[in-house]
Amino acid sequence: MKTYIHAIVLTWLITFWTSFALADYKMIIPQKPGGGTSQWASIIAKHLEPHLGEKIKLVHIPGARDIPGFNKFHNELRFDDKTIMVSHGGNGVSYLTESVDYDYKQYEPIGGMNLTIIIGKKNLEDKIYFAGGSGNIPDVMALTLFMCGNLNSFDAYEKCYKENITFVKGMSGSERRLAFNNGELNITRENPAAYKKHAKAANLLFTHGVFDLDTGQVVDDRNHPNLSFNKVFIAKWGEAPKGNFYDAYLLVKNYRDVLQKALWMNKGNPNATKVTIALLDMLEDNEAMAAIDKAVGDYDWFIADELLDAVNYLEDKKDLSTKSYLIKWQRDVLGYQAVDK
Amino acid sequence: MIELLLGTLYGLLIGLIPSAGATTGLVALFGFMYLFPNEYSAIIFIMATVAASTTADTFASVLLGIPGANSAAATIQDGYPLAKKGKAELALSAAITSSTINGLLWGLLVFIFLEHLSFVYNYVGSIQLWFITLFAFFCVVLVLGKKWYLGLIGLMLGILFALVGTNPITNASRLTFGWQYLESGIQLMPLIAGIFAVPQIIDGLAGWTAPVKHEKRSYRLLGIYAVFKNLGLSLRGGFIGAVIGFLPGLGGAVSDWISYGHTVASTKSPKIPFGKGNIRGVVGPEGSNNAQKATSMITTVLFGIPGAPFAAVVIGLLMYLNIELGDPSLFYDPNIFNSMLLGFIGGTVLVAILLLLVLKPICNITMIPVKFFFPFLFLLLLWSCTQYTGGWEDYALFCIFSIVGYAIHRLGVSKPALLLSFILFERFELLTIQILTRYIL
Repeated sequence: MKTYIHAIVLTWLITFWTSFALADYKMIIPQKPGGGTSQWASIIAKHLEPHLGEKIKLVHIPGARDIPGFNKFHNELRFDDKTIMVSHGGNGVSYLTESVDYDYKQYEPIGGMNLTIIIGKKNLEDKIYFAGGSGNIPDVMALTLFMCGNLNSFDAYEKCYKENITFVKGMSGSERRLAFNNGELNITRENPAAYKKHAKAANLLFTHGVFDLDTGQVVDDRNHPNLSFNKVFIAKWGEAPKGNFYDAYLLVKNYRDVLQKALWMNKGNPNATKVTIALLDMLEDNEAMAAIDKAVGDYDWFIADELLDAVNYLEDKKDLSTKSYLIKWQRDVLGYQAVDK
Repeated sequence: MIELLLGTLYGLLIGLIPSAGATTGLVALFGFMYLFPNEYSAIIFIMATVAASTTADTFASVLLGIPGANSAAATIQDGYPLAKKGKAELALSAAITSSTINGLLWGLLVFIFLEHLSFVYNYVGSIQLWFITLFAFFCVVLVLGKKWYLGLIGLMLGILFALVGTNPITNASRLTFGWQYLESGIQLMPLIAGIFAVPQIIDGLAGWTAPVKHEKRSYRLLGIYAVFKNLGLSLRGGFIGAVIGFLPGLGGAVSDWISYGHTVASTKSPKIPFGKGNIRGVVGPEGSNNAQKATSMITTVLFGIPGAPFAAVVIGLLMYLNIELGDPSLFYDPNIFNSMLLGFIGGTVLVAILLLLVLKPICNITMIPVKFFFPFLFLLLLWSCTQYTGGWEDYALFCIFSIVGYAIHRLGVSKPALLLSFILFERFELLTIQILTRYIL
């Protein structure tokens, strides 16, 4: 028996250490393989490798609402000099509203894409049927504003939401897309690349717009001019969106979209500069960027400190009463109890 | 052709590893995609891996009583008792033949008519999926056994384990006892390994397993003959698998058990009771799993919507090669579809030939005392159980379910009932929530 146990331990140790010795860099993805962020990371890693001069191994650490993978990076993996974290929009929403271990300000920002989310409609008449999870809170809030206009109280928004929007829970991304195609849902939401692929039957209702770091404002997505939420709202209601509800929407929307696809390493990591330079080289590589634009869309990047500036801007502008309003909406109206920060 | 051979051999290896299925094998490919000379080679390799692993995952089910993958669990019901009677070759040759026939049939139908199938999805919604899942749930009754109360306990335990994770309505943790890792639920592989494999190993080492009857006679041709004798059953199993694969999110385990349920229900006065080594209990469910894999590719290729967990990984792997499944421009490149067809059909045929050739020596594994191969088996189980995050939590869960699994085994609780309810309840709960929030509340 002793021999067998020794054989097991020895073989396992050899396998374990060999797999790590062969890997150069590791990119931690807080999702299962095949998810949107996993696909993004796969493309970026492929085009980053030649500029970095080393192989990148994709490591998926999935978990509920994509939090455990990022927490694990924070608590254990970030101390390895060759580990890169890939964060996405859902992490931004959880960072704002839940108790999570990770903290963007403790990392070296490598770079991130300044993306948006697109909302499409099909056969939209009087009531919205939309499906999603906690990462879709900005979408639900934007749709509530779109349907209700500027109202003067939380209760008024709640009443209008319940009359106009059916928020279907429990659907995976795959089911949501099929349900939109077969008419069970009449609103869909996708990132730009997925919108082209999955929302062929949709008419674009609005985009959330992109964050402009220079002005701190949300501006048009250049791929879809004049279709940002604010402009569509004004066209429908004759005034700009405003008030507590709008502020709460803007807060959670920016945390999600600005941090939607980003790369991080631990603060003080000696390899962070090397990876950032490789990323800059990749951005200059026309062939690589053509492939990335085709798959992800033509969007700007925040590089290094720009990404940190964006996070700092969001944190500085975070108003506690607005956040409380947002959490009350999530908990009391949408029924999400995990918001506890 | 080298890609086809390598993909088949790799899929064969993955299929033989207990509890590791196509998904596990494909995930392990992420670090090696750059090795392929072009995208067509990669597609052939990937599809051959899927086809080969799906056929080969029957081996662990029949020879060891450990599901080769979740979609091969129903085969244990009659396959393993056959192996214990010294007729593993009969069960395996029947399983390979039934899998191959349906894999070829549905593989050809899917990849030839792929472009014209999208309209069907206009008629499939959450209500239809809910009814199919509910129907699959009823199949649990078929595996309760004579001691129905032990089956019922298995059923309840399966539901209890499925409830661990996150409440889909409130996002609050549920039965996780503060362990964040469990918020995404209990993973299937440690559960299968703990419930099915570990007790077999322990009993084998302790010498508590009944000796396997040694049969010198070859049953290979008899197994093939059994499929042709029950060809209607095999094809109906394939049809069930094809329909379930066509519907996203339901997966191979559902089709397997519905096929098994159909097999039991459609067999009047069986000479050998089901669960005791009736060959029809192998032919029916084995007809379904390769067909299910083939039709899972329909939504995957047409819409970029994964029809099953393995298909999500296929999307990710092909994305690395700049191939976006779901993109209509794919149809302008017939080589992509030809590669898929070649990989899937070629892999299906090749693995069947290879397995039938080496059937007898592989079957002799049942004659080897567990103590001689348990370190290797244990390592394979450990490898497949730690493919989720690779962290210590995977190991911890494997340990926990090894203990729980052994307790369940000693108490005689129905393991198939537990596994089936565990797999189905999560889907059932989500679909119920969808219907309630969309149509009722």
